[in-house]
Amino acid sequence: MTKALTVAGLSRRHGAVQAVDGIAFEIAVGEVFGLLGANGAGKTTIIECVLGLVRPDAGSIHICGVDARADVQAARAKTGAVLQATELPDKITPREALEVFGAFYSQPLNSDALLDRFGLREKQDAAYESLSGGQKQRLALALVFVGDPQLLVLDEPTAGLDIQMRRELHDHIRDMKAAGRAVLLATHDMDEAAQLCDRIAVIAGGKIVAMGAPAELIGGSGHTLEDVILKLTGGVR
Amino acid sequence: MTALLHLTLLGLKLNFRNRMAILYGYLFPLIFLVAFWAVYRGDPVPLALHVGQFLTVTILGSACFGLPTTIVSERERGVWRRYRLLPAPGWVFLTSVLLARAMLLVTAALLQLALAFAFGMPAPTHPLGLFAAFAMASFAFLGVGLVIAMLVDNVPAVQALGQCIFLPMLIIGGVAVRLESLPNWAQHVSLFAPARYAVEALQLSATGAGLSRAGFDLAALLLIGAAGAVAAGAMFRWDRAFIPRRAWLLLAVGMWVAVGVAAETRGRATVSAVSDTREVGTARDYVAAAPKPQTASASWKDVTQSDIDGIDFKRLPADEGIIAPLSRGDEAPDPAILPTLDRIRDAMPGWAPGTVSDPVQRARNLLGIAAVPDILQMEQVERFVPRLVFARLQAVIPPRDLPKILYWIALHPDDGSDAAMHQLDAFGLPDITGPTRPVRGRVMLYAFKLLGRLAGPLPNN
Repeated sequence: MTKALTVAGLSRRHGAVQAVDGIAFEIAVGEVFGLLGANGAGKTTIIECVLGLVRPDAGSIHICGVDARADVQAARAKTGAVLQATELPDKITPREALEVFGAFYSQPLNSDALLDRFGLREKQDAAYESLSGGQKQRLALALVFVGDPQLLVLDEPTAGLDIQMRRELHDHIRDMKAAGRAVLLATHDMDEAAQLCDRIAVIAGGKIVAMGAPAELIGGSGHTLEDVILKLTGGVR
Repeated sequence: MTALLHLTLLGLKLNFRNRMAILYGYLFPLIFLVAFWAVYRGDPVPLALHVGQFLTVTILGSACFGLPTTIVSERERGVWRRYRLLPAPGWVFLTSVLLARAMLLVTAALLQLALAFAFGMPAPTHPLGLFAAFAMASFAFLGVGLVIAMLVDNVPAVQALGQCIFLPMLIIGGVAVRLESLPNWAQHVSLFAPARYAVEALQLSATGAGLSRAGFDLAALLLIGAAGAVAAGAMFRWDRAFIPRRAWLLLAVGMWVAVGVAAETRGRATVSAVSDTREVGTARDYVAAAPKPQTASASWKDVTQSDIDGIDFKRLPADEGIIAPLSRGDEAPDPAILPTLDRIRDAMPGWAPGTVSDPVQRARNLLGIAAVPDILQMEQVERFVPRLVFARLQAVIPPRDLPKILYWIALHPDDGSDAAMHQLDAFGLPDITGPTRPVRGRVMLYAFKLLGRLAGPLPNN
């Protein structure tokens, strides 16, 4: 069966720092896969490589069977992503953003349906600069879904969100999973990872130091996931 | 393609929602136009001689500030980082920005032209050429704007670098200050300023011989624009965190230098005036002996051979010069201007002012047709139109009367009506709506020149 994402032998150096070192993992269709690790562990670099934003020094990446290094546009057409520090133009409206972004895909989802699904109907004609933080994040998610992606890539998606928005986002991720889509979630929120992820890869120093289901990682130790990961990554508790 | 169209339309919409963008994109060009009109409103043909300048200001402003500010501010905020996640290559996004900017430029230029027409500016002599020159100048400077956008990290830096390009272009590029009024060394330096080629190409289309005479200018703009586009493409970055490959800047700057050197080696530095409304003296300056008192010849019919013999034709400006030029009789015009000459020749028989009953006014009106291209320095056209006028005068005025009438007009340049100068559109020439004194001066000179040929002292070659 074709995997939603296959990463093999991925390496990337930033100057003197080996940011990613021989990473390999797979994500099955309908699976939520977490990348956990401290700041600077290499999570964001892995995601940037997967999305074709950074050229790996070595390794291969396949998204739904498409070689993402050879045909980055075809791979992006199957992917939706929320990255940190991205914005939209101040004066764009949610409806315009959905329609313009939808124009990049062969079979975009209906803008009205997305406005309703993400609670943006009332703000559909409001300028982006006038939206609240939560509304902006909803719009960012709606834009991820507009291309009906097979793989959802989320980099710290709940950073800075209030509790209600975090729950809302978690529901959307579960909906994706239920719809047979795969999710790659980078986070350092252990609770979030434990709740959402089918499997987790723990990253430290650019390498995977442990990988498995949250329950497998905890094993019978009686510790929390946070304790286990801190131990694996050399943190102190 | 659909995505490109959507992005371009979005760029236009967002621009029109931005008050500052409207201010910079539309109000400033109009302010510049009004400023040009205020300074040069005394021209015989309002603003026609400054089309190249005021359109180039608009292009420069948009390229040095508008375009890079849009790109850099969006990149600074992470908008382009978000765009990058979409399944399309970078050129789609850059092209959409350029297309939107080009449309804004065209509409701003049309607004300028509309206001200029309201001020009395005539239609350009080569409208299609003007559009092509505008497109090429826009291409050249938008390439420069892209380079600025790729080099700098934030909007204040755009303003700083933009000013470093904008202001020298205004001063030594022939945009705000006419090249012919600059010292010789500055005219040489101006060859390295792309604005010079934009102004020249646009002006040649507005009042000159058209793009057939602007080959070097167009090639220069094309090369400068292409070098800028290639350099900007190589330095392109989605995110300010990436460091641009600044070595490519050498290509863009190097092309400015290469074009300047090529122009210098071709001897293009010295500028002849694009217009000449200088005083041409009075009739007395061309008469060797003091003319008889006015009462002695109260009518053109009283002009005698001895009056004509009193003219010193050697004092007239040379036929090859700037003032009142005249082609040789055996000289063939450039094929590019043949349609213009044909139109003037064909329109003369049906031109009402050329058939009025008063033969002096009739001749005065016809001579006026030759005066306008001379004032506007319409290159080849200005040299060949007088030949057409001379032929027409000889066809509609009896041979025995024509010398007397020409003498009378030359000695009385301020007499008669100017009304015909407002009816030149039949020839595709701009009407004179400003002072007519320079036109009357040219009418006097051409009357002398034809008279000299009819009377014998001047060779009718």
